[in-house]
Amino acid sequence: MDSGFTLWLFAVSVGASALGGMLGMASGIFIVPILTMFGHVDIHTAIGAGIVSVIACSCAAAAPFLEERLTNVRLAIVLETATTAGALTGVLLAGIIPISVLFFLFAVILLLSAQQMMAKRSEVIFRSGENGRWASLHSSYPDRVLGREVSYQVDRLRLGMILMYGAGMISALLGIGSGVLKIPAMDTALRLPIKVSSATSNFMIGVTAAASAGAYFMRGNIVTAIAGPVALGSVVGAIAGARILMVVSNDKLRLLFVVVLVALAIQMLLAAFGIQLIKTAT
Amino acid sequence: MNMERLLAVLLRYGVWLASLAIGIGLAVALASSAPAGMRIVAIGIGLFILLPSLRVLLMLAVFVRARDYRFGLIAALVLAIIVLGLAVGMHTPEARPA
Repeated sequence: MDSGFTLWLFAVSVGASALGGMLGMASGIFIVPILTMFGHVDIHTAIGAGIVSVIACSCAAAAPFLEERLTNVRLAIVLETATTAGALTGVLLAGIIPISVLFFLFAVILLLSAQQMMAKRSEVIFRSGENGRWASLHSSYPDRVLGREVSYQVDRLRLGMILMYGAGMISALLGIGSGVLKIPAMDTALRLPIKVSSATSNFMIGVTAAASAGAYFMRGNIVTAIAGPVALGSVVGAIAGARILMVVSNDKLRLLFVVVLVALAIQMLLAAFGIQLIKTAT
Repeated sequence: MNMERLLAVLLRYGVWLASLAIGIGLAVALASSAPAGMRIVAIGIGLFILLPSLRVLLMLAVFVRARDYRFGLIAALVLAIIVLGLAVGMHTPEARPA
Protein backbone atom coordinates (compact mmCIF):
# COMPACT_ATOMS: atom_id res chain seq x y z
CA MET A 1 0.00 0.00 0.00
CA ASP A 2 0.96 3.66 -0.62
CA SER A 3 2.36 5.10 2.62
CA GLY A 4 2.09 8.72 1.36
CA PHE A 5 -1.61 8.35 0.60
CA THR A 6 -2.20 6.62 3.95
CA LEU A 7 -0.53 9.53 5.74
CA TRP A 8 -2.58 12.06 3.71
CA LEU A 9 -5.81 10.25 4.61
CA PHE A 10 -4.80 10.30 8.27
CA ALA A 11 -3.86 14.02 8.28
CA VAL A 12 -7.03 15.12 6.45
CA SER A 13 -9.15 13.12 8.90
CA VAL A 14 -7.46 14.69 11.95
CA GLY A 15 -8.17 18.21 10.66
CA ALA A 16 -11.73 17.44 9.59
CA SER A 17 -12.75 15.82 12.85
CA ALA A 18 -11.10 18.46 15.05
CA LEU A 19 -13.30 21.07 13.36
CA GLY A 20 -16.33 18.76 13.40
CA GLY A 21 -15.81 17.89 17.06
CA MET A 22 -15.80 21.57 18.04
CA LEU A 23 -19.24 21.93 16.45
CA GLY A 24 -20.56 18.62 17.73
CA MET A 25 -20.52 17.33 14.18
CA ALA A 26 -18.75 14.33 12.72
CA SER A 27 -16.05 14.66 10.08
CA GLY A 28 -17.92 12.79 7.33
CA ILE A 29 -19.34 16.01 6.01
CA PHE A 30 -15.80 17.26 5.28
CA ILE A 31 -14.16 13.91 4.53
CA VAL A 32 -16.49 12.65 1.79
CA PRO A 33 -16.05 15.72 -0.48
CA ILE A 34 -12.27 15.88 0.21
CA LEU A 35 -11.79 12.18 -0.59
CA THR A 36 -13.75 12.41 -3.85
CA MET A 37 -12.43 15.80 -5.04
CA PHE A 38 -8.77 15.72 -3.91
CA GLY A 39 -8.14 12.02 -3.24
CA HIS A 40 -9.93 10.83 -6.41
CA VAL A 41 -11.59 8.09 -4.37
CA ASP A 42 -14.73 6.44 -5.79
CA ILE A 43 -17.87 8.04 -4.31
CA HIS A 44 -19.17 4.82 -2.74
CA THR A 45 -15.81 4.09 -1.14
CA ALA A 46 -15.72 7.68 0.15
CA ILE A 47 -19.23 7.32 1.61
CA GLY A 48 -18.19 4.02 3.25
CA ALA A 49 -15.10 5.67 4.78
CA GLY A 50 -17.23 8.67 5.81
CA ILE A 51 -19.67 6.44 7.67
CA VAL A 52 -16.85 4.66 9.56
CA SER A 53 -15.33 8.06 10.38
CA VAL A 54 -18.68 9.26 11.72
CA ILE A 55 -18.82 6.26 14.08
CA ALA A 56 -15.21 6.85 15.17
CA CYS A 57 -15.83 10.58 15.82
CA SER A 58 -19.05 9.93 17.70
CA CYS A 59 -17.60 7.23 19.96
CA ALA A 60 -14.30 9.05 20.58
CA ALA A 61 -15.93 12.35 21.59
CA ALA A 62 -18.78 10.79 23.56
CA ALA A 63 -17.03 9.92 26.85
CA PRO A 64 -16.15 13.48 27.99
CA PHE A 65 -19.64 14.75 27.05
CA LEU A 66 -21.24 11.92 29.04
CA GLU A 67 -19.03 12.60 32.06
CA GLU A 68 -19.85 16.35 31.91
CA ARG A 69 -23.57 15.38 31.83
CA LEU A 70 -24.12 17.35 28.61
CA THR A 71 -25.59 14.33 26.78
CA ASN A 72 -29.29 13.53 27.26
CA VAL A 73 -29.11 9.74 26.78
CA ARG A 74 -32.85 9.13 27.24
CA LEU A 75 -33.73 11.67 24.58
CA ALA A 76 -30.98 10.20 22.35
CA ILE A 77 -32.39 6.65 22.38
CA VAL A 78 -35.92 7.94 21.62
CA LEU A 79 -34.69 10.01 18.67
CA GLU A 80 -32.46 7.13 17.47
CA THR A 81 -35.55 5.09 16.56
CA ALA A 82 -36.24 7.81 13.97
CA THR A 83 -32.62 8.31 12.81
CA THR A 84 -31.93 4.58 12.32
CA ALA A 85 -35.24 4.10 10.48
CA GLY A 86 -34.21 7.04 8.28
CA ALA A 87 -30.78 5.47 7.72
CA LEU A 88 -32.45 2.24 6.61
CA THR A 89 -34.55 4.21 4.11
CA GLY A 90 -31.38 5.96 2.93
CA VAL A 91 -29.63 2.63 2.30
CA LEU A 92 -32.62 1.50 0.22
CA LEU A 93 -32.77 4.80 -1.70
CA ALA A 94 -28.99 4.98 -2.32
CA GLY A 95 -29.30 3.47 -5.79
CA ILE A 96 -32.25 5.63 -6.91
CA ILE A 97 -31.49 9.26 -6.09
CA PRO A 98 -28.67 10.87 -8.14
CA ILE A 99 -25.89 12.19 -5.88
CA SER A 100 -25.85 15.57 -7.67
CA VAL A 101 -29.48 16.20 -6.71
CA LEU A 102 -28.71 15.29 -3.10
CA PHE A 103 -25.71 17.62 -2.91
CA PHE A 104 -27.86 20.46 -4.24
CA LEU A 105 -30.68 19.73 -1.79
CA PHE A 106 -28.17 19.53 1.01
CA ALA A 107 -26.73 22.94 0.14
CA VAL A 108 -30.22 24.45 0.43
CA ILE A 109 -30.77 22.76 3.82
CA LEU A 110 -27.37 24.03 5.06
CA LEU A 111 -28.21 27.62 4.10
CA LEU A 112 -31.62 27.39 5.80
CA SER A 113 -29.92 26.05 8.95
CA ALA A 114 -27.41 28.90 8.89
CA GLN A 115 -30.26 31.39 8.63
CA GLN A 116 -32.06 29.75 11.58
CA MET A 117 -28.92 29.91 13.69
CA MET A 118 -28.41 33.60 12.95
CA ALA A 119 -32.03 34.52 13.64
CA LYS A 120 -32.23 32.88 17.04
CA ARG A 121 -29.80 34.55 19.40
CA SER A 122 -31.16 33.82 22.88
CA GLU A 123 -31.71 30.40 24.37
CA VAL A 124 -35.08 29.31 25.72
CA ILE A 125 -35.06 29.12 29.50
CA PHE A 126 -38.19 27.98 31.37
CA ARG A 127 -41.63 27.06 30.10
CA SER A 128 -44.62 25.37 31.71
CA GLY A 129 -44.55 21.57 31.44
CA GLU A 130 -45.80 20.10 28.17
CA ASN A 131 -45.29 16.59 26.80
CA GLY A 132 -46.56 15.03 30.05
CA ARG A 133 -45.94 11.47 28.82
CA TRP A 134 -42.34 12.30 27.99
CA ALA A 135 -41.56 14.30 31.12
CA SER A 136 -38.68 11.87 31.86
CA LEU A 137 -36.81 13.43 28.93
CA HIS A 138 -36.53 16.80 30.68
CA SER A 139 -33.14 17.27 32.32
CA SER A 140 -30.44 19.71 33.38
CA TYR A 141 -26.74 20.21 32.71
CA PRO A 142 -23.87 22.05 34.42
CA ASP A 143 -22.84 25.08 32.36
CA ARG A 144 -19.16 25.93 32.85
CA VAL A 145 -19.39 29.40 31.35
CA LEU A 146 -22.41 30.41 33.47
CA GLY A 147 -21.06 28.45 36.45
CA ARG A 148 -24.43 26.93 37.42
CA GLU A 149 -26.85 24.08 36.70
CA VAL A 150 -29.23 24.88 33.80
CA SER A 151 -32.61 23.09 33.63
CA TYR A 152 -34.29 22.50 30.28
CA GLN A 153 -37.34 20.82 28.83
CA VAL A 154 -37.86 18.90 25.63
CA ASP A 155 -40.37 20.59 23.33
CA ARG A 156 -42.24 19.52 20.18
CA LEU A 157 -41.00 15.91 20.18
CA ARG A 158 -43.09 14.86 17.16
CA LEU A 159 -41.57 17.55 14.92
CA GLY A 160 -38.14 16.59 16.24
CA MET A 161 -38.72 12.92 15.34
CA ILE A 162 -39.74 13.80 11.76
CA LEU A 163 -36.62 15.95 11.29
CA MET A 164 -34.47 13.17 12.79
CA TYR A 165 -35.87 10.66 10.29
CA GLY A 166 -34.75 12.99 7.48
CA ALA A 167 -31.35 13.48 9.10
CA GLY A 168 -30.87 9.70 9.33
CA MET A 169 -31.72 9.30 5.67
CA ILE A 170 -29.26 12.00 4.55
CA SER A 171 -26.61 10.47 6.85
CA ALA A 172 -26.87 7.08 5.12
CA LEU A 173 -27.07 8.52 1.60
CA LEU A 174 -24.06 10.86 1.87
CA GLY A 175 -21.88 9.10 4.46
CA ILE A 176 -22.13 12.01 6.87
CA GLY A 177 -23.25 12.30 10.48
CA SER A 178 -25.96 14.82 9.64
CA GLY A 179 -25.12 16.55 12.91
CA VAL A 180 -25.50 19.66 10.83
CA LEU A 181 -29.20 18.74 10.46
CA LYS A 182 -29.64 17.18 13.88
CA ILE A 183 -28.36 20.18 15.81
CA PRO A 184 -30.72 22.72 14.21
CA ALA A 185 -33.55 20.19 14.69
CA MET A 186 -32.78 19.93 18.41
CA ASP A 187 -32.07 23.64 18.71
CA THR A 188 -35.18 24.98 17.01
CA ALA A 189 -37.70 22.10 17.18
CA LEU A 190 -36.93 20.56 20.57
CA ARG A 191 -35.54 23.88 21.88
CA LEU A 192 -32.56 22.41 23.75
CA PRO A 193 -29.58 24.43 25.01
CA ILE A 194 -26.93 24.40 22.25
CA LYS A 195 -24.35 22.45 24.28
CA VAL A 196 -26.90 19.76 25.12
CA SER A 197 -27.95 19.51 21.48
CA SER A 198 -24.29 19.33 20.33
CA ALA A 199 -23.41 16.59 22.82
CA THR A 200 -26.62 14.60 22.26
CA SER A 201 -26.26 14.89 18.49
CA ASN A 202 -22.67 13.62 18.67
CA PHE A 203 -23.86 10.70 20.79
CA MET A 204 -26.62 9.81 18.30
CA ILE A 205 -24.69 9.99 15.02
CA GLY A 206 -22.67 6.85 15.88
CA VAL A 207 -25.75 4.66 16.19
CA THR A 208 -27.34 6.28 13.13
CA ALA A 209 -24.17 5.60 11.11
CA ALA A 210 -23.96 2.03 12.45
CA ALA A 211 -27.37 1.30 10.89
CA SER A 212 -26.03 2.08 7.40
CA ALA A 213 -22.41 0.97 8.08
CA GLY A 214 -23.60 -2.60 8.57
CA ALA A 215 -25.33 -2.52 5.19
CA TYR A 216 -22.36 -0.88 3.41
CA PHE A 217 -19.96 -3.34 5.05
CA MET A 218 -22.06 -6.23 3.70
CA ARG A 219 -22.13 -4.60 0.25
CA GLY A 220 -18.32 -4.28 0.24
CA ASN A 221 -18.31 -0.47 0.13
CA ILE A 222 -16.01 -0.17 3.15
CA VAL A 223 -12.42 -0.44 1.85
CA THR A 224 -9.92 -1.26 4.60
CA ALA A 225 -6.94 0.67 3.16
CA ILE A 226 -9.01 3.88 3.06
CA ALA A 227 -11.41 3.53 5.99
CA GLY A 228 -8.57 2.45 8.35
CA PRO A 229 -6.41 5.60 8.30
CA VAL A 230 -9.56 7.78 8.11
CA ALA A 231 -11.01 6.17 11.25
CA LEU A 232 -7.73 6.53 13.17
CA GLY A 233 -7.35 10.19 12.16
CA SER A 234 -10.98 10.86 13.09
CA VAL A 235 -10.42 9.59 16.63
CA VAL A 236 -7.42 11.89 17.17
CA GLY A 237 -9.23 14.93 15.73
CA ALA A 238 -12.52 14.29 17.53
CA ILE A 239 -10.84 14.13 20.96
CA ALA A 240 -9.07 17.46 20.32
CA GLY A 241 -12.24 19.13 19.01
CA ALA A 242 -14.38 18.03 21.96
CA ARG A 243 -11.89 19.51 24.44
CA ILE A 244 -12.25 22.90 22.73
CA LEU A 245 -16.10 22.74 22.81
CA MET A 246 -16.07 22.49 26.61
CA VAL A 247 -14.35 25.86 27.11
CA VAL A 248 -15.89 27.99 24.32
CA SER A 249 -19.02 30.09 25.05
CA ASN A 250 -22.37 29.44 23.33
CA ASP A 251 -22.33 32.67 21.29
CA LYS A 252 -18.89 32.02 19.80
CA LEU A 253 -19.96 28.46 18.99
CA ARG A 254 -23.09 29.71 17.24
CA LEU A 255 -21.10 32.18 15.11
CA LEU A 256 -18.53 29.54 14.14
CA PHE A 257 -21.38 27.19 13.31
CA VAL A 258 -22.97 29.74 10.95
CA VAL A 259 -19.65 30.36 9.16
CA VAL A 260 -19.09 26.61 8.64
CA LEU A 261 -22.67 26.06 7.48
CA VAL A 262 -22.32 28.73 4.77
CA ALA A 263 -18.88 27.45 3.70
CA LEU A 264 -20.26 23.91 3.42
CA ALA A 265 -23.28 25.11 1.43
CA ILE A 266 -20.98 26.69 -1.17
CA GLN A 267 -18.89 23.51 -1.25
CA MET A 268 -22.00 21.36 -1.74
CA LEU A 269 -23.31 23.59 -4.55
CA LEU A 270 -19.95 23.34 -6.34
CA ALA A 271 -19.98 19.57 -5.92
CA ALA A 272 -23.51 19.33 -7.35
CA PHE A 273 -22.50 21.50 -10.30
CA GLY A 274 -19.27 19.55 -10.84
CA ILE A 275 -21.02 16.20 -10.92
CA GLN A 276 -23.60 17.53 -13.38
CA LEU A 277 -20.80 18.75 -15.67
CA ILE A 278 -19.20 15.31 -15.71
CA LYS A 279 -22.59 13.74 -16.41
CA THR A 280 -23.22 15.94 -19.48
CA ALA A 281 -19.66 15.38 -20.71
CA THR A 282 -19.91 11.58 -20.72
CA MET B 1 -22.21 3.69 38.56
CA ASN B 2 -24.86 5.62 36.62
CA MET B 3 -25.65 4.96 32.97
CA GLU B 4 -23.64 7.94 31.68
CA ARG B 5 -20.46 6.68 33.38
CA LEU B 6 -21.02 3.10 32.19
CA LEU B 7 -21.49 4.29 28.60
CA ALA B 8 -18.43 6.54 28.84
CA VAL B 9 -16.30 3.58 30.01
CA LEU B 10 -17.59 1.29 27.22
CA LEU B 11 -17.03 3.89 24.50
CA ARG B 12 -13.63 5.02 25.82
CA TYR B 13 -12.15 1.50 25.98
CA GLY B 14 -13.92 0.42 22.79
CA VAL B 15 -12.37 3.32 20.90
CA TRP B 16 -8.94 2.57 22.38
CA LEU B 17 -9.13 -1.09 21.37
CA ALA B 18 -10.38 -0.40 17.83
CA SER B 19 -7.82 2.41 17.29
CA LEU B 20 -5.02 0.22 18.62
CA ALA B 21 -5.96 -2.56 16.18
CA ILE B 22 -6.04 -0.11 13.24
CA GLY B 23 -2.76 1.54 14.31
CA ILE B 24 -0.91 -1.77 14.73
CA GLY B 25 -2.40 -3.12 11.52
CA LEU B 26 -1.37 -0.05 9.52
CA ALA B 27 2.14 -0.15 10.99
CA VAL B 28 2.52 -3.83 10.03
CA ALA B 29 1.08 -3.20 6.56
CA LEU B 30 3.36 -0.21 5.91
CA ALA B 31 6.47 -1.94 7.26
CA SER B 32 6.13 -5.33 5.60
CA SER B 33 3.13 -5.12 3.25
CA ALA B 34 2.07 -8.46 4.69
CA PRO B 35 -1.64 -9.28 4.30
CA ALA B 36 -1.83 -9.84 8.07
CA GLY B 37 -1.55 -6.06 8.60
CA MET B 38 -4.66 -5.22 6.58
CA ARG B 39 -6.54 -8.03 8.30
CA ILE B 40 -5.83 -6.41 11.69
CA VAL B 41 -7.00 -3.04 10.28
CA ALA B 42 -10.21 -4.72 9.10
CA ILE B 43 -10.79 -6.11 12.61
CA GLY B 44 -10.40 -2.59 14.02
CA ILE B 45 -12.93 -1.20 11.52
CA GLY B 46 -15.32 -4.04 12.40
CA LEU B 47 -14.97 -3.14 16.09
CA PHE B 48 -15.86 0.49 15.35
CA ILE B 49 -18.97 -0.58 13.41
CA LEU B 50 -19.97 -2.88 16.28
CA LEU B 51 -19.36 -0.35 19.07
CA PRO B 52 -22.58 1.76 18.71
CA SER B 53 -24.68 -1.43 18.79
CA LEU B 54 -22.89 -2.53 21.97
CA ARG B 55 -23.68 0.88 23.43
CA VAL B 56 -27.42 0.40 22.66
CA LEU B 57 -27.25 -3.13 24.12
CA LEU B 58 -25.73 -1.74 27.33
CA MET B 59 -28.49 0.89 27.54
CA LEU B 60 -31.09 -1.86 27.04
CA ALA B 61 -29.58 -3.85 29.94
CA VAL B 62 -29.50 -0.80 32.24
CA PHE B 63 -33.13 0.13 31.44
CA VAL B 64 -34.36 -3.43 32.00
CA ARG B 65 -32.46 -3.68 35.30
CA ALA B 66 -34.03 -0.41 36.44
CA ARG B 67 -37.45 -1.86 35.40
CA ASP B 68 -37.81 1.01 32.93
CA TYR B 69 -39.47 -1.26 30.35
CA ARG B 70 -40.70 1.59 28.16
CA PHE B 71 -37.16 2.77 27.45
CA GLY B 72 -35.96 -0.84 27.33
CA LEU B 73 -38.40 -1.44 24.50
CA ILE B 74 -37.20 1.71 22.72
CA ALA B 75 -33.56 0.50 22.95
CA ALA B 76 -34.61 -2.96 21.65
CA LEU B 77 -36.35 -1.29 18.71
CA VAL B 78 -33.16 0.64 17.79
CA LEU B 79 -31.14 -2.62 17.94
CA ALA B 80 -33.71 -4.36 15.75
CA ILE B 81 -33.47 -1.61 13.11
CA ILE B 82 -29.63 -1.91 13.06
CA VAL B 83 -29.88 -5.70 12.59
CA LEU B 84 -32.43 -5.12 9.82
CA GLY B 85 -29.84 -2.82 8.17
CA LEU B 86 -27.35 -5.73 8.06
CA ALA B 87 -29.97 -7.92 6.40
CA VAL B 88 -30.82 -5.19 3.87
CA GLY B 89 -27.11 -4.80 3.01
CA MET B 90 -26.78 -8.53 2.45
CA HIS B 91 -29.77 -8.77 0.14
CA THR B 92 -29.58 -5.57 -1.92
CA PRO B 93 -27.05 -4.85 -4.68
CA GLU B 94 -24.33 -2.24 -4.34
CA ALA B 95 -25.56 1.35 -4.75
CA ARG B 96 -24.90 2.77 -8.20
CA PRO B 97 -26.43 6.25 -8.40
CA ALA B 98 -26.05 8.12 -11.68
